[in-house]
Amino acid sequence: MKKVETTVESLKRDIGNFYQPDKHHFIVMNAVDLGEKLEVQWFFSDYDPPYDITTFYTIIEPQEELPSIKEIISSAWVAEAELVDLIDIHIENTGKGFVLEEDSEMAPLRKKK
Amino acid sequence: MGKQYEIPVGAQHISLLEPLHFKFTTENERIVDTAANVFYVHRGIEKACCTKFKFRQVSFVVGRVCGLCSISHTTAYSQVAEKLVKIEVPPRAKYLRMLVIELDRIHSHLLCLSHVAENSGFEALFMKTMQYREAFMELLEAVCGNRVQYDFAIVGGVARDLKPTVVLMIRERMDHFRHQLEELIDIFRNNWTLSLKNKSAGAISRDDALRLNVVGPFARAAGLAIDVRNETEDLLPWKEVGFTIVTGTSGDVYARNLVRLHEIEVSMRIIENVLDGLPESALVTETKAFPDGEAVVRIEAPRGELFYYAKGNKTQVLERLKIKAPTFSNISAMVEGFQGSEYGSAPAIIASYDPCLSCTAR
Repeated sequence: MKKVETTVESLKRDIGNFYQPDKHHFIVMNAVDLGEKLEVQWFFSDYDPPYDITTFYTIIEPQEELPSIKEIISSAWVAEAELVDLIDIHIENTGKGFVLEEDSEMAPLRKKK
Repeated sequence: MGKQYEIPVGAQHISLLEPLHFKFTTENERIVDTAANVFYVHRGIEKACCTKFKFRQVSFVVGRVCGLCSISHTTAYSQVAEKLVKIEVPPRAKYLRMLVIELDRIHSHLLCLSHVAENSGFEALFMKTMQYREAFMELLEAVCGNRVQYDFAIVGGVARDLKPTVVLMIRERMDHFRHQLEELIDIFRNNWTLSLKNKSAGAISRDDALRLNVVGPFARAAGLAIDVRNETEDLLPWKEVGFTIVTGTSGDVYARNLVRLHEIEVSMRIIENVLDGLPESALVTETKAFPDGEAVVRIEAPRGELFYYAKGNKTQVLERLKIKAPTFSNISAMVEGFQGSEYGSAPAIIASYDPCLSCTAR
């Protein structure tokens, strides 16, 4: 797995420059609670040999808003909506309520303080 | 423009196996827009795996993510945990994992095909396909001890060996099933009424499959030749046991049926090769190491690419476990696939997607 660091400011540009629909498969997004900060990851695999996996990642403050990559990868809305609910990150133009109902415990994957 | 109607289907509906909700907008019986809600059964499994269970116990927990592809989850988790503790699995265990994965794929594909038949109005074909599937449920019980949620793959290897009587049983059942499979292929391919109902229904193109990152038989039926078994040789030696990829072209329900049927043929060949070439070795590699660092694993479950990410912190409990089920990747295409199809075909289209919401919502 190859990890590529990106930033909130350059995320769209970096993924936009990298992603080609006929060469890369967008697997999913993930986030890891590091305590004070969050590591957000975007996983891609190659359609061609050697079928490498590339992970873009950035470390953000919990209240920071991430740009959405929906305009680059239209199917990414599902992964973005899931992370908004499960780990309470803020993503541009993505609301809550896709995975969890209003009366659910919110952000279950965030560590308890 | 004709008058438009909104028709809700689900969360509880006669044509749905699991709770999901579609809201179809129709015009002159054709679907012009679709909205979907697929997250009715979130169970907090990722959270539980990182708080309540030690990493060796997690394979038994993720075996409960799905009743149909339990072996894919336990194998994927075991593989990602094995990467974190840096151990190599014995060759016999790798072969036995492939055996159960392929037996599981056959029963899962037959289940999907039976429901496509039922939702297309073919009750007798539904019964026949389910009857044939039963033989594989019994084989899975004989190999693993359970019909569903078989805790066969564990961290380091597998939990049970294969008895000689079970090997014989698998060979006999497969010989018997070969003729039944030919019969099913003939019906799904040539039955005029069934093919009329399934052709063009819920079609997506290869370009759409690429654009929407579709996986599994859904993608392969549209002509996109992707299968994790073709891409990963390091963890399970798929090509050594005769894996070949099956694709279609039309991307509709008809093509999905045929891709699944021909994938069953490939699975049978793999099972035979596994039995013929089963290596002698231990079943488990023992270790006292704790998971450290991060790792990812992809595996081809019956519905497509299953992805596991795990992060360890040198303790017994994982820092993070992420599970991405195949249906999760297919949600966007599931919504778009209805466009232009007749509302009457919607139940068969849904069944042909073979959605697993239990996996998706976890």
